[in-house]
Amino acid sequence: MTIAPKAPRKLSMKARYSALTRDLDWDPSYVPAEEMFPYTTFEGITIHDWSKWEDPFRLTVDAYAKYQAEKDKRLYAVLDGFAQSQGHLSLTDASYLNAMKLFLQGVSPLEYQAHRNFAYLARHLNGPGPRFASLCQSLDEIRHAQTEIHTLSNYNKYYSGFHSYLHMHDRVWYLSVPKSFFDDALSAGPFEFLIAIGFSFEYLLTNLLFVPFMSGASFNGDLPTMTFGFSAQSDESRHMTLGLEAIKFLLEQDEKNVPLVQHWINKWFWRGYRVTALVAQMLDYMLPRKVMSWKEAFELYFEQQMMNGLFQDLAYYGITPPLHVDKAIQEKEYLSHQAYWILYQFSHAAAFTTSIPTEEHMDWLTEQYPDTFPVYRTLWEKERKNLENGGRHFIRGLPQLCQVCQIPMGFTEADEPFVQCQRESIYEGERYNFCSDGCKYIFDHEPVKFRQAWLPVHQIYQGNCGAADLPGVLQWYKMQPGDGGEYLGNVDNENWKTWHDMAETTGGH
Amino acid sequence: MTVSAADRPVGVDIQESEQNRAVIEAIEADNADATVRHMPGMIRVQAPGRLVIKRESVEERMGREWETHEFQLAIISYFGHIKEWDDDEIVIAWDH
Amino acid sequence: MQFELRTQVIEPQRKTFQHLIDRYGDRPASRYEEGSIDIQATANYHYRPLWNPEMEIYSPDYSDLKLADAYSFTDPRQFYYAPYVTSRADMHEAFGSTLDYLEKRGMFDRLPASWSSVVQDIVLPLRHYEAAGQMIFSHAARFGWGTTITQCCAYAAFDRIGNAQILSRAGISFGGGTADSLDTAKTTWLEDADWQGLRKHTEELLVTRDWGRAIVALDVTDRLLYGLMYTHLDEAALLGGAGSYSLVAQHLSGWFTDQRRWMDALYKAWGADPEHGTANAAVVADVVESTLATASAALAPIAAKLDALVDCGAAQALSDAVEATRAAYTTLGMTKEA
Repeated sequence: MTIAPKAPRKLSMKARYSALTRDLDWDPSYVPAEEMFPYTTFEGITIHDWSKWEDPFRLTVDAYAKYQAEKDKRLYAVLDGFAQSQGHLSLTDASYLNAMKLFLQGVSPLEYQAHRNFAYLARHLNGPGPRFASLCQSLDEIRHAQTEIHTLSNYNKYYSGFHSYLHMHDRVWYLSVPKSFFDDALSAGPFEFLIAIGFSFEYLLTNLLFVPFMSGASFNGDLPTMTFGFSAQSDESRHMTLGLEAIKFLLEQDEKNVPLVQHWINKWFWRGYRVTALVAQMLDYMLPRKVMSWKEAFELYFEQQMMNGLFQDLAYYGITPPLHVDKAIQEKEYLSHQAYWILYQFSHAAAFTTSIPTEEHMDWLTEQYPDTFPVYRTLWEKERKNLENGGRHFIRGLPQLCQVCQIPMGFTEADEPFVQCQRESIYEGERYNFCSDGCKYIFDHEPVKFRQAWLPVHQIYQGNCGAADLPGVLQWYKMQPGDGGEYLGNVDNENWKTWHDMAETTGGH
Repeated sequence: MTVSAADRPVGVDIQESEQNRAVIEAIEADNADATVRHMPGMIRVQAPGRLVIKRESVEERMGREWETHEFQLAIISYFGHIKEWDDDEIVIAWDH
Repeated sequence: MQFELRTQVIEPQRKTFQHLIDRYGDRPASRYEEGSIDIQATANYHYRPLWNPEMEIYSPDYSDLKLADAYSFTDPRQFYYAPYVTSRADMHEAFGSTLDYLEKRGMFDRLPASWSSVVQDIVLPLRHYEAAGQMIFSHAARFGWGTTITQCCAYAAFDRIGNAQILSRAGISFGGGTADSLDTAKTTWLEDADWQGLRKHTEELLVTRDWGRAIVALDVTDRLLYGLMYTHLDEAALLGGAGSYSLVAQHLSGWFTDQRRWMDALYKAWGADPEHGTANAAVVADVVESTLATASAALAPIAAKLDALVDCGAAQALSDAVEATRAAYTTLGMTKEA
């Protein structure tokens, strides 16, 4: 590419940015300020001076359009080339795409939600600096939703499980985990949203969520996903900055903001962390070629960078690491094993497939988790015997869901691998169940909000999901034959073998 | 345990490509304490306390004009705080 | 493992996603369709907004203007992010070239004094109007119903801040590479009596909660303002030896032509809706009538000022624009007399 050399400027980048963004703002005098900005008072955050917001990126519309257009030119060239050369056939295995099915069903609709709500901030924050940064992020987020859809569209043409991702996102049991997470953020006020998504999601957890997917793609022959992922991440660095600016700004504006922000960090760390359970099992179980274990990713992206880096910085303001973070650190040893075990047993009602880990795979897991995996290995060995007797293990009943994160109750107490962790609260005479102390903490602060949750299992029992029996519910989900269940022998697996046999008999190596 | 802002590592992840080679070399040259780690498809450059990317150094290695905004085509992620991003340099460091 | 696979063409199992097959049949879908149709959630929201517990997170009821099927409207430009941002990169690059040309030849310095005043007192304050346009469209991008509409609004929001920046960049050049002219223009916007009608009108648009009514009112105002400032004044500038203004104005009038394409398609969709068409036409007519009155009154002192400076028939041009705008809505069946 050639980027045209710039003419000498008289204004510095900072002064030009200021003239082109924040100086456009004015204080209204014909309408009351509280009508102009109706949403920035009810949360109890105090802002004295919006002009103190710093945006180090200093990106203006012309530069934004130029660089983003260049990024998309490169990305779509890769997508077209991959489709034209039937690149999907050079993946490590069709089972790799289970990770991408989860991504399209679970994550892409969240990018779209972020797009909509950053537009809300681009209108409804009082300060022109954060409004403009939010505007850019709002555009980036629709970019991410669309580039993900366009990237995975090619796989949808040849493989199961992708075809009804939008319909499923709003209905299927495991997808209510990410959906409720983002609905929670959209239904919060603008400051909580900034801490929820801008800070906790984009800064604390983004690398943990995205980099494993992208590295997994790179290791498994999925060039388009790697390309969109890295391309999206380059926007993400701007988003991380917005998140970090947001938290520092709120903390510096008034001491009274500190406890509110601390609560939101506690809440949104745990909320986001629970969503990453899906990533954990993807990394450890769904990738045919492994990149790194969940435990290693967690140590690298969370413990080293956040606990040892960021939170030491925030200590200056009196902010402590999120409540329950110790539990997450303990769980790194077994989170993925428990999450995959849940999905394995319920995948007949999902739009991805699962399979028992091979011996080689289990050896790898033993190496990665010497202290904990041996226990789970005995579970799998029992399942191997079931399989030999022709009985693949699926749970036919419906699981109880956590009222907050909506994951089926299957996580255990930290030191008791077979004792299910269950917490409960009574609110207005009704009992609510939680998978963890973190989720109970969240409910207890906002029972009025969380009792509203659209829990897929409750909805089935209440007759709101098309039918009372599983086949009827699956039809209502728009599942097609081959979407879920066991991978081996499933349509993707059979097609994969046929296509590769075909290639071998017609001049393969 | 508290580690001072000058010692806590900061870093940046850059997509590994021909186009970004000059950027990575410039960072290595301008940051004596930087360490480089190769990961799938990307390179992580890390340094204690502070990392700087200088326009002049990149331009020298690239043989053409390069504006600091262009760094956005290379960066995948970072850790630390972007303290400065102006015409001449980008600085990543912790505040406190 | 490397296979030679190019010798075999594998037949796809399906041509696109199921929701597009349901809607359009089993044919390949465009990237615009895959990236836009049915993307917004329409069901099973988990929680009511804390900032408005009466409403759902997304709802058609955030406006009086409704479509029975939100996707009966599609963007005639078929903009999804990539073509949108590419088109805007070209637009801003073209403007950058214009600005370079003007700067190298010192064209702003050569403006006749009266035209220099036009730029300073009439054109540069409009960057604040454009900035408000961003906020109005961002509100619509959040609260609108259906991705094809909200996507257009999101891009329009970015366009408006882009326009504000085009005017600001021109202002920096005009001010000899400083922000002085912009500062002066801001004072004009805030304090000059002739501008207070437009500022008041703009602030009232900003607090219009109904996103549909707000973007219609802005559009009506745009028709008058763009007609006067960037079309009529462009011709007058050419005649008056102010070629540099003409060169700047063409970028804004060019943008407005692009903006009209999707806005006009949206009016058609609103009007043609089998369920809400009649009600929509009445709502638009209501907004058009009141906005024409307010906006023309707000712009009158600015037109008078223009005539005082360069005697360009601005007052007449404004009343022509009012009539042309009313006629355009009458053609759509969206005025009271229609």
